[in-house]
Amino acid sequence: MTTTSRIILLSLLVLAGMASPAWAQTKSELTVALSSFSAETVDPALQGHNVKYYLSLMFDYLVGTTPEGQPSQAGGLASKWESSADHKRWTFHLRRGVKFHDGTEMTSEDVKFSLQRAMGKRSTTGYAGPLRTLIGDIETPAPDRVVIVTKEPTLIIPTYLSRSLSTEGIVLPKKYIEANGDDVFARKPVGTGPYKFVEQVVGSHIKMTAVDNHWRIGVPKYKNVTFRLVPEETTRIALLRRGEVDVADVSRERVKELEKDGFPIHMRKEEAVVHAWWILGPDGRTPPTNDKRVREALNLAIDRNEIAQSIFGGYAEPAAIPMGLTWAFKDVGFKVTPDMMYAYDPARAKKLLADAGLAGGFSIDVYAFQLPGFPEGKAFAEALAGYWEKIGVKSKLIPVDYPAFRKMWVDRKAPGAVGYYNIANRDWIGAYALLEKQGYTPSKLNDTVNDPEVDGMLAQVMRQTDREKINALMRNVYTRLRSEHHGVPVVFVHSPYAASKTLGKWNPGSVMYDLFLDELARK
Amino acid sequence: MVRFVFFRLLQSLVALAILSVVVFVLARATGDPLHMILPMNASAEDYANARAYLGLDRPYLEQYASFVGRAITGDFGTSIRARRPVIELLQERLPNSLKLAAFAMGVSLAIAFPLGVMAAVRRGTGVDRAAQIVAVLGQSLPTFWVAIVLVEFVAGRLQWLPAGGADGLASYVLPGFTLGWFVVAGMMRLLRSGMLEVLDSEYVKLARLKGVAERRVVWVHALKNALIPVVTFAGIYFAILVTTAIVVETVFAWPGLGRLAYDGITSRDFPVIQAVVLVTAILVAAVNLCVDCVYALIDPRIRYGQ
Amino acid sequence: MSVVAIPETQAAPAPASRRQRLPLVSLSIVAAFVLVALLAPLLAPSDPYDQSLRLRFRPPVWEERGSWSYPLGTDRLGRDLLSRIIYGARVSLAAGVVTVLISSAFGAAVGLVAGYYGGRTDAALMRATDATLSFPVILLALILAVTVGPSFTNVVIAIAVILWARYARVIRGQVLTLMTLDFIAQARIAGAGAWRIITRHLLPNTLNTLVVLITLQVGYVIIVEASLSFLGAGIPPPTPAWGSMIAEGRDFVTSAWWVSFFPGLAILLVVLAFNLLGDWLRDTLDPRLRQL
Repeated sequence: MTTTSRIILLSLLVLAGMASPAWAQTKSELTVALSSFSAETVDPALQGHNVKYYLSLMFDYLVGTTPEGQPSQAGGLASKWESSADHKRWTFHLRRGVKFHDGTEMTSEDVKFSLQRAMGKRSTTGYAGPLRTLIGDIETPAPDRVVIVTKEPTLIIPTYLSRSLSTEGIVLPKKYIEANGDDVFARKPVGTGPYKFVEQVVGSHIKMTAVDNHWRIGVPKYKNVTFRLVPEETTRIALLRRGEVDVADVSRERVKELEKDGFPIHMRKEEAVVHAWWILGPDGRTPPTNDKRVREALNLAIDRNEIAQSIFGGYAEPAAIPMGLTWAFKDVGFKVTPDMMYAYDPARAKKLLADAGLAGGFSIDVYAFQLPGFPEGKAFAEALAGYWEKIGVKSKLIPVDYPAFRKMWVDRKAPGAVGYYNIANRDWIGAYALLEKQGYTPSKLNDTVNDPEVDGMLAQVMRQTDREKINALMRNVYTRLRSEHHGVPVVFVHSPYAASKTLGKWNPGSVMYDLFLDELARK
Repeated sequence: MVRFVFFRLLQSLVALAILSVVVFVLARATGDPLHMILPMNASAEDYANARAYLGLDRPYLEQYASFVGRAITGDFGTSIRARRPVIELLQERLPNSLKLAAFAMGVSLAIAFPLGVMAAVRRGTGVDRAAQIVAVLGQSLPTFWVAIVLVEFVAGRLQWLPAGGADGLASYVLPGFTLGWFVVAGMMRLLRSGMLEVLDSEYVKLARLKGVAERRVVWVHALKNALIPVVTFAGIYFAILVTTAIVVETVFAWPGLGRLAYDGITSRDFPVIQAVVLVTAILVAAVNLCVDCVYALIDPRIRYGQ
Repeated sequence: MSVVAIPETQAAPAPASRRQRLPLVSLSIVAAFVLVALLAPLLAPSDPYDQSLRLRFRPPVWEERGSWSYPLGTDRLGRDLLSRIIYGARVSLAAGVVTVLISSAFGAAVGLVAGYYGGRTDAALMRATDATLSFPVILLALILAVTVGPSFTNVVIAIAVILWARYARVIRGQVLTLMTLDFIAQARIAGAGAWRIITRHLLPNTLNTLVVLITLQVGYVIIVEASLSFLGAGIPPPTPAWGSMIAEGRDFVTSAWWVSFFPGLAILLVVLAFNLLGDWLRDTLDPRLRQL
């Protein structure tokens, strides 16, 4: 046999030896592949959004949440809480005997420390701002009691410190952090969750291992949990096929392919609303979008059903209310009636433009970018541009990435230009917080609305403690947003998560940025 | 010889200094990292606080001086996004890139060798042509396309090999092959022409006259001499592989330098961008230096740029 | 991809039989695609920008649900693939040719000046060249894309800004060798100035090398553009460019294979042809350039 053939044969044998399909994970390992870890930090005070997926396994929150987004006395470190009659003193009763991963016991001192840290200078969490303005003092009358004293009467404290929003409610070990410093904590975090941090390679994975017994989960079913960052979708799916991964987020366009091959798909219904808006000028709306008819025309030109069916593969529903979130609608009793849904009516759109004096059309810039959880971003932008071209609006696509768009939006350097986001669905408090930043003129930077009537209503919500009044205000806000066409709400998207065939039952829940993977570990 | 090395080293340092200014300016031109780390609803005050906290509000000259001063000691600052020392991130990722590049070199040589030898020995025939085409194919297909097709079919459907990650020898095969195929053409060409030259030379003619078997002539004598340029170019190819692996790293979720650079650029993480560019530049410069020294050793004519 | 110019070992003169026949196949492929690019408006059956969401992901004509109105199928926004590939020839070839012409012109100029003047000029220029060579192309293109937004111009600039250094290095090496030859000394004695020597004596002798390099690099630029599109820094949609078409279709390798396959085939044919042509040119014009 010639040397060359010998070499080839040898190589083939070696390859054959190395290749062994990793059969479905033994029950002791759970691996999750995600397309993005967002900020990838393991310190809850540093960006609290997408990272909840893995933070919720290592840490516990002061107030628990059910997968349906309701506050739960069984799910958090506070087994019960109540407020004073004037809603300015909130008392939380803590569980006893909960231990951090380093063995120390969780007390009210840790809760106070964690909250102060979440509101501190170094923190970049989502709701630190409102908490800073609201919270006056934190008292610790007993090791199992914390009292939060607010400057104004408010209802939002338990929700803001719960699992349903961001990470401000996560309880961290005071002694450990004070002794070792923030830097060590960011590299070796310690919490009270069912899983202990083992290692993190930034840009690659996060590994954690089970504690012996957890107060909420019991003895965790999986000995080890690994989160893997796999940006390319084909690779995530290949990992799923090979059994190397038990859960993977997939794009809507590949759901049919996976279902055909027998992989269970868990849909988070209406996980986000794809909402587009016009960037404001330094003093508010600029022509031509300052004319209500133009805004309505641009809405009527879009065939939402076609977009839902084609770009989102049918895993989307038309949306009708600018910045409206269905999980919040439920809370405040807002009903979307059929007449609120935008029809697909390019003829009427053209007429509205003519009425506004723009029969010859005009030019509009459309920023095109991808977002985590929204791989269809660019195709979506192209589709919008296409629809608008058909009613005589010359649309120029400007490809950027999100940070670049954000800069244009916040600096107000491109008035009238269109951008979008897949806004995560959330309960009414979260929805209010969103509106207070994106629909409220005094918030300056991020405002997209600039409407004094909306401003007035939102300002009242913050100060109200009567739920009924709050609900009414919120309903009116949504009605006004819709009647004034303060944006282009396009579709609600469902997000698919593919699981391995052996994973079993799993309810990913409807809580913002959380997949309730810890529930999988419950026996 | 020592003078040569010394001067080359000096030249490399000057080049690096130029590069440090360029990359400092470029990194800051990309935009504002705060948009990525602060939540969507951050206020102007939040921005000001974060800027001060991260030292981004100091004058540029001061930032540059701080950057260079610390870089010399190996401190590349703290990643704005990960809030961890950049040197740690480099320590996690650089070995992975080096290992993958080494494996890819191995694959590349393993393919280029038989192709180059066959092409030289059977020069001018269909075999020569076919070998040339196979080699050049590796440069004629977009890398990410090859990678994705391999992941989908070899890993996903046939399940012969792992799809991603850096666990175990088997996971090196697909990314290593994808990366290596790209440089096969260059190597094969060198081998082929090197061998052709040697096979025509007096030295080999003499060996043949002396009755040495053709097999020995090819494999021992010709190959040995053709290897020298290949070996020195392997060094340069290695540096190229390390620096251009970003596409392969993305598809195969390989935690290497390329992906670190990509994440750094997309999140406007200045310290990371600066560090990765500098480190790759140092790597390339180091490899070039070694190659030039080897050549200077072989051929004194080059020592002074003649 | 050479960085160091190797001085020649004693090579035997190329025997006449080593010269291959004209590479007809490669030449015709290149010519065909250039023609397609030039005649695109006449050849394309539809408007490459015309989108129709109802017609998205339709297969090629020979499959069920295919139709002659879109012979090679449609992409994710319902645009005709064949038309986009035809117009894409313009974009991709233009990107390759323009980038290479700019970088070779500038790089050759630098190499000629550095080699001719030597001394400090040479040292300074070569340091700049070194610094440039060690900057990864893809990273620079990404930075540009993220700073000013991706566009055809930015792709050309990003690649040209680094590619010139390769030409500079190689040409300088050649010039250094040429400078030791008698005819340069004679020209100097005859009173010829720098400009004359460079343009009349040095440049023509480096043309062979330039032609080989240029041919080889066109394919390289097209491939790099494809990688940039994959990373989001290439020629952006809706402009039809082969690289971004492949990138857009990469998630549908099995379900809508045609979206990536046909542009991929186009790139493969064109780049392969340019590479083989470049190889032939090298073998014919200057076999000593084996290090390229």
